Amino acid sequence: MRSRLLATMFVVLASAATADAQNAPKKPPAIINPPPTAQDYADLAKLPDWSGVWNPKITDQDQQARTNPPAWNEKVAKEVEKMWAEEKAGRPKLIFYGCFPEAHPSWMLVTHNAMEILFTPGRVTMLGESDGNRLRRIYTDGRPHPDTSDPTFHGHSIGHWEGDTLVVDTVDILPQAPLAISEAVGVPNDGDMRVTERIYLAEKDILHVELEITAPKILTKPWKTTRIFFRQRARKFDIVEGVCQLGDYREAKDENGHHVFVPVEKTEWGNLVAPK
Amino acid sequence: MTKHLKTIGVLAVAGVVAAGIASVSAHHSATMFDHSTTMTINGEVVELRWVNPHVSLSIDGIVKERAEAGRAVWVMEMTSPGNLVRAGGWRRDAVKPGETVQVEFSPLRDSERKGGALKKLTVVATGEVFTANIREQERPGLE
Repeated sequence: MRSRLLATMFVVLASAATADAQNAPKKPPAIINPPPTAQDYADLAKLPDWSGVWNPKITDQDQQARTNPPAWNEKVAKEVEKMWAEEKAGRPKLIFYGCFPEAHPSWMLVTHNAMEILFTPGRVTMLGESDGNRLRRIYTDGRPHPDTSDPTFHGHSIGHWEGDTLVVDTVDILPQAPLAISEAVGVPNDGDMRVTERIYLAEKDILHVELEITAPKILTKPWKTTRIFFRQRARKFDIVEGVCQLGDYREAKDENGHHVFVPVEKTEWGNLVAPK
Repeated sequence: MTKHLKTIGVLAVAGVVAAGIASVSAHHSATMFDHSTTMTINGEVVELRWVNPHVSLSIDGIVKERAEAGRAVWVMEMTSPGNLVRAGGWRRDAVKPGETVQVEFSPLRDSERKGGALKKLTVVATGEVFTANIREQERPGLE
């Protein structure tokens, strides 16, 4: 008897709730990607010319790794010192394992590969040539960071133009994303990392990226550093597809004669296992 | 050519057998090579693997500095295809299986393994030269 009464009450309450939901004014979904107007496209012409293929100045990366290191905390400093020693000894730690993206900000800091930068209404997009799906979307349409964190390799980036300088703020980067100062020296940021950037043409074909990196779990204070990219103006080269995993596989045929990829053996440092 | 196809087959089977033993990726530092040492191998191209993030080249030949070891297959690693095109003038078909080449390289520090980092390749028949130094892209005037 008691259970029948409870069941009746549940049905009545559920019906009332449904009626309330149907009568409530519907909240329109937030529009985050409005269709661009002709004026939006026309406005792109006012931006500086960042077209072409941009290569990192690797010799400057090499130099800065030694002359302008981050303020690692005491624990991480010891880890970093060991990594330098291991790299020098020919046992480089594989910090970019699994062909995961180098992630932000490491691919701005240590990449050896080219990138291109695309402007579309409300957005700047950076596309890397290699290193496993390097792609940054920087929203310049005035939106804020999301209320709910959804961490990704490249984080959530919002930007605005101050004259010809793009100012970018990035949060929500995965804690596993390393803060790297060489291809074999870097540690996971462990969370709460924030990166601000000022990106501008220092010369006609020289792009500067001034970074300020706050990573409270591994640094004792924000790290300021600049990375340089140069442009090859003759346009002899295009960005090409660069799928990192291909280095871990080789071409073969399956039992039905179809073209497939099969894994190859790699060392713990990531290079091919050479024959004895 | 049959011999080279057979060698490729052996390499492919070795890869399949090895799968699951150790397959870690892929984008890595190059300090496992001894960059203070240069060796030279003269031989025939087995295979050029034009892939990211590191192009590799297998050569069946004799290493001048280890001539007593005789002829063997050596595996050379390089930078990415995009960087090789820009820095060293490479193409996907820069060399073909069976072509005679001379390659200067930095050997693996593990001297038991026949591997290295390619520094310079010369195609003997044509004299065409390809290099693999990514920092070469920074030289002034490179357009």
